[in-house]
Formats: sequence, structure tokens, C-alpha cells
Amino acid sequence: MTAATLERGLTALKEHIDAPVAAFFSSCVHCGLCAEACLFYTETGDPKYAPIRKLEPLRRQWRREYTLVGRLGALLGLIKPLTDDELAEWAHLIYDSCTMCGRCTLVCPVGNDLTYMIRKLREGMAASGHARKGLVEAAKKTIKLGSPMGVQLPALNAQIRRVEAEVGLPIPVDVAGVDYMVILSSMEVIQFPEIIGALARIFDRAGVTWTIPSSGFEATNVGIQIGSRDIAEEIVRRVVEAAEKLRVKYVISPECGHAYVALRWEGPNLLGRPYRFEVIHLMELLAKLRAEGRLPLAGKHDQRVTFHDPCQIIRRGGIDQEPRDLLNEITEDFAEMPDAGIWNWCCGGGGGVSAVDEAEHLRTKVFSRKMCQLDEVHPEQLVTACANCRNIIEEGLEAYNKDIEVIGLTELVAEYLAPDETAPAEGGDGS
Amino acid sequence: MSHGRAGAPELKDSLGATPDALADVLRRRGVSRRAFLNYCSLLGALMALPPALVPRLAHALEGARRPSVIWLSFQECTGCTESLTRSHAPSVEDLIFQSISLDYHHTLQAASGAAAEAAREHAMKENAGKYLVVVDGSIPLANPGYSTIAGISNKDMLLDTARGAAAILAVGTCASYGGLPKADPNPTGAVAVADLITGKPVINIPGCPPIPVVITGVVAHFLAFGLPGLDDLGRPLAFFGERIHDRCYRRPFYDRGLFAHGFDDDGARKGWCLYKVGCKGPVAFNACATVKWNAGVSFPIEAGHPCLGCSQPDFWDGGDFYQTLAIPTENVAGLAMGAMAVGAGAGAAVSALNTAKRKTAKKAHETVTIENLEKPKEKAET
Repeated sequence: MTAATLERGLTALKEHIDAPVAAFFSSCVHCGLCAEACLFYTETGDPKYAPIRKLEPLRRQWRREYTLVGRLGALLGLIKPLTDDELAEWAHLIYDSCTMCGRCTLVCPVGNDLTYMIRKLREGMAASGHARKGLVEAAKKTIKLGSPMGVQLPALNAQIRRVEAEVGLPIPVDVAGVDYMVILSSMEVIQFPEIIGALARIFDRAGVTWTIPSSGFEATNVGIQIGSRDIAEEIVRRVVEAAEKLRVKYVISPECGHAYVALRWEGPNLLGRPYRFEVIHLMELLAKLRAEGRLPLAGKHDQRVTFHDPCQIIRRGGIDQEPRDLLNEITEDFAEMPDAGIWNWCCGGGGGVSAVDEAEHLRTKVFSRKMCQLDEVHPEQLVTACANCRNIIEEGLEAYNKDIEVIGLTELVAEYLAPDETAPAEGGDGS
Repeated sequence: MSHGRAGAPELKDSLGATPDALADVLRRRGVSRRAFLNYCSLLGALMALPPALVPRLAHALEGARRPSVIWLSFQECTGCTESLTRSHAPSVEDLIFQSISLDYHHTLQAASGAAAEAAREHAMKENAGKYLVVVDGSIPLANPGYSTIAGISNKDMLLDTARGAAAILAVGTCASYGGLPKADPNPTGAVAVADLITGKPVINIPGCPPIPVVITGVVAHFLAFGLPGLDDLGRPLAFFGERIHDRCYRRPFYDRGLFAHGFDDDGARKGWCLYKVGCKGPVAFNACATVKWNAGVSFPIEAGHPCLGCSQPDFWDGGDFYQTLAIPTENVAGLAMGAMAVGAGAGAAVSALNTAKRKTAKKAHETVTIENLEKPKEKAET
């Protein structure tokens, strides 16, 4: 079969409803707290955006197929089967208004992992042909060309050459046997290539051996976003194969939220085996280098800055203190936004929403939540650790006419590397 | 909370059977007006009345004619009367209570035999439709001979006396809910007052015994404002609106998980929460923790003993007094085992079915590729 059908979608849902999903639906107490945790609800006030409601098709399929009452109801025609029209209607709730940011999961008093269920529901949506067009296109490009934005090796090479000329350091490509393999999100390659230079300078200073692979350098995983294990597995396999071929000890998950989740948490489950390397987030690595005294920093950033915690890194990854320690060391005026840390609000574009054209209007609307947070601290610059957040926030600030510069934490750290006295060739390039 | 203000004036007048107003009686007994107003304020505070109503209470009580009261004692231990009369005498509330026209009371009246019954009948006739009936004790229905007064069964006496009453006060847990006589296996077939009376207001003032000031407080409310607001068990909300537990001075220990586990352990000596030695405070509605006993000296928990929950229906049958509330009082082990076996069987069957279904779905899985992410063109258009 070469086309998506409702039948396939329903089968996929049946396949993906597991014991946790059954337990979650059974234990929901209908308290509605998840609504208040979701920026799509708080910023619109529309109850249809309550997270648990977005899961209605999954709940119905579970009741019909796996509960006694539901099966009886189905027999009597009281619980109708899901239809294509309903799924098409729900696509707005499942793809456009959920970034899988995990805030509802965190707030749920009975511990229901709503994000986990959205991820499963998207499996059914993708298999039944209700995935958003933007994501389908991104998936096609990733599978065919290697990256959702169509970035291929020549483009990466061009950027690498530019950066090499800029920082005066070699960027190692395909060097086997090094400690760390760096992968990048195409957003970084295209929009924020300065991250590559920043990494080169930090690693050079810290004496870290590293490389970028010529294949499997793409960190983002549209399979996770669109909701397809099969596609996600193929994408993650490229990275794993590259890492194992180059025999690296660590793969560094870059400044990208869902890439981290895809590689660190979903990857081994998708492949069905443990990796032969470790996954470490760039923030964790920087904190580790600093703790080992390999990251000498000097000088203080004099702008007023704040830090936006990317959802996947703070809530799914627990990386909380690392960026704050770094910022406290290199900035003079670091102010926390309200709800900073584990309760931070999503930028509004994660989980694939940034790739969905239909979501653009809503995404801009709900950015008002971030604006409220920013209005409490009035920063001159916003620092974050996710290229997608960075891009979305830049767009949002523009839409709201706010003059705040958005920068990546790694680049900021690279700027405040202490000048290296032992290597005169480098000169005062470090600041 | 309704204080039943409507209709109060007529009641006040209608109960004015005996000529002396309360204020005159009190003055004659040497109770100063200041002491009387103090008492009214205290009563108002106890009943959580708005301060503005205190003058009204004083005015109403001052002008109240001594109502005729007929006190009936059935299957009881006289503890309720003891509580009232032998409390911290002489107190204002005692005087108030003595200052009603208590026309008939087994224990307290001097007359006996035919003369006593004649007093009751006289009071009923003189004050028809206006007198108050106070009942302590439960009524046996299994055999009328179990408890009789002057050859009249308790049931007949209650129904006969209640017929012309303005209202009935069931004082004590026996009268309110059957109490000790009704405890399992209830050999006398005891029932509560409210089980027999229809068409008349019945106010339950439970407790074994009830707090004296609660009895007088309810009477005062009745005289001043009419029927007080009642909970679903017929108790005045002003005194029975809160759980002992919620007002207990040992509550902070409960909240911090600090418990006495026996009566001579460290926790008991430190005055920690008595929940684990059987305190029924969490389920008992009464005013003990706030009003206390013996002129506000203490109450059982303060004396180191768990609350028995004596103001609750069937408190005698609530299991061991010293067993924590968390332990079920019925033998649930057998039932639980059976239910578990059935549940486990059904669960295993359902889960086997569900697992099979999920496996089938897994087998039916067709790999999602970029080729089949979209619906076929013509179908998508329809």
C-alpha cells in the first residue's frame, strides 16, 4: 500500500495504546489544571485548547477498543468510530496548538504524561494522512536530502570554510577516534553558523578532540514531530551509524530541544538497542569542562540578559543549573523571568509547530505569554540554548515590535573565553 | 446559616405562658444586667451570630416569658440532666435554664406518682400548642413494657405530649440517634425521637452528654429567633457545624505527622495527636474543642484521651474506641479476598484480550514512509 488511510491510522492508534496510556486515561480526574498550564489555552482563553481535550481521539479509540464499557458502547452504536473528518478537524489541535513542551505533564496532579500521549496520537495522525503539510514536506526533505531544510553537505562545507576563515581554527570533519562528535540542526547551519565557530574556539581552548560527520550531521528529527516511529528511526540511525563508524565516545546534542529528546530518550528505543557512545547535551558538556577547570572565562558581559529555558532541555532533560552557572559567571546583570526554570513557558514553536504553516497565526498570538515574561525583567538580550526557540523568539519579538537581541548561550560563552597566554598566535581574538 | 428569624416574635409571645419575664426572674436571683448582657454576648459569639444581633438577643431574652417545659426521660442514664445541673454551678446558663418553667421532670420534680402526671397534663392543657418538650433517652419499640412511666409506655407518652408542643428538643445522643440502648444488637428495639415524630420541629442536641451551654444556647436561640439552622442530622449548625479535628489544638501535630502511639509513650507525654490511639475527632461534629467543658477548663483530648465521637449516630458501634479510624470496622478481609480473586481473573482475561488485540495491530503495521504520508489525491478531494 502506498497511501495513508483511516484504517492504517486506527491500527496505529491501537498499536500505540499501551499500559501507561490506559492508566493515564483511567486516572484523569478532569480537574482541568492542564488547561492553565498550556499557553495555547491561557493566551486564547479557548477551552478547546485544553491539553487533555486534544487527546480526545486517542481516548475514544482506547475506550472503544480496550475497555469493557467502551466495547459494549461500540456494539450498541453509542461510541462511534473515529472518522476522517474528525481527525482532520483535530489536526489543528494535535499539530498546530501543541508543542509537546511538557508543561501539562508537569502540572498534572495524577502524573499523567500528556506529552507522551500526544506523541502517540500523532502516530495515528501520520498513518492516516492527517499530518500537516509542512511536516510532510520536511519529512520528505529529510529522508531524501538529509535535512528538513534541504541542507546538504556542500552547504555545510561552505559554512565550515567560512567559519574557519573567520576564527582561524580548523573545523575537523570525519576524524575518526576523537572524543566528541558534533551534530547540528539545519537551523544552525543556515541561520546561526556562528555556533560552529564558537564550538571551535571553546574546544580548542579546552583541549577537546572533536569532529563533525559528513553524513548524519543533521540533529533534528522530523519523525518525532510528525509522529512516526519508522521515519524517526531512520533519521536517528543515520546519526548513530556515523558516530559508531567514527568510534567517538560522545555525541553532543546541539542547541536544539527536540533533537536532544530524539537522540537521548527515543533513539535507543527506536533502534531497540543501547548506543555504543554516550549522548551529552552541549550545556552539560560546557558545565563539565568548567567544573574540570578546562574552560577559563574572563570578562563580564555588561548587557542586561535573561535566559529562556528550552522546554525539552529543562523539562525532559533536567538541565537547569548548568546554563545559569555559566551565565552568572560571564554576565553582570542576569535577571530571571517569572516562571523561569522548570516552569518556563514554551516559545510556541517547538514540537514541529514552527514547520506548520497553518499554525503561524496562532503561534504569533500565543507569543504574548513570552512577552509578559519579558516585560517583567526588561532585558536587552535574551539568551537561550535552542536554535528553534531562538528563531521563533526572534520572529515573535519582531511581530510584537520589541527590540531585544536573541543570542545562543554557547556563542556568549565563547566570547568570554579567557585570552590564551600560552598560544601567542591567536592574539586577542578571544573577545 | 439560617437563624430562623422569621416567626420569632410570635413564638416569644406564644411561649409566654407564665407571667414572669426572664429579666425579672434573673434580677430577683441577683443576676446583674451587666452579667446578663455578658452572657448574651458569649452566647452570640458561640453561635457565631453577627455582633449586631446581640442586643436583639438580649432584648428577646429579657422580654421572654418563662416558657413551659416538659422534660421526658426515657431509656437514658440521667447523664444529660447531670451534665446540665451539676456543671459549674451556679452559672448564668444554669439560672437561665432553671428560669424556664420546668413543669415536669422526673429527676428534679418533688411530686411523684399521680401528682406528677397531673402536673404534666395540667401543663399540656394550660399551654397547648406553646410548650417545649425536652426528651432525653431513646424509645423502645420491641416491647412497650421495657420502659414505662406511671404505666404509660414511652412511645405513648412521647406521642401524647408532643401533640401540643411548639417544638421538641432531643437532648443527648440516645434521644437524638438512639444512643447506647440502640447499640448492636439493640435488644429493646430502641429508636430516636425523630423516628417517631412527624410534623413538628425536632432539634437534636447530641452528645453523651451534650455540653451544657449548647443546650442553653439552643434554648436561647429558640426563644430569641426561632428554630436555628440545622445540619442534615438535625443538629444546630452553630454548635455542630465543625469537626472536633478541625478545631483541635493538637491538629498541628496531625498535620506534621506527629502521633501518640500509646498512652504512655513519648508522643503521649509530648501531647501529640491521638489519631492513632483511636481519636474520632476527624468524624465528630461538636463544639468540645472550642467551648470545652466545666466552664471552659478542658475537654477529653486536652485531658489526653481520644474523642469517642459521642455526638455522632451509632458511635457505640463504630469499632474499638482505641482503634484508629484508618482501620475498617467491618470484617472486610474475606470479602476483599473474594473480590480480589474475581478482579484478578477478570483483569487477566481482559488484559489477555487487549494484549492480543494490540499484537494484531502491531502485525498489521505497515511501515510509514515519506511515500505514504499523504492520502491518495482523488480521495483527499472528496
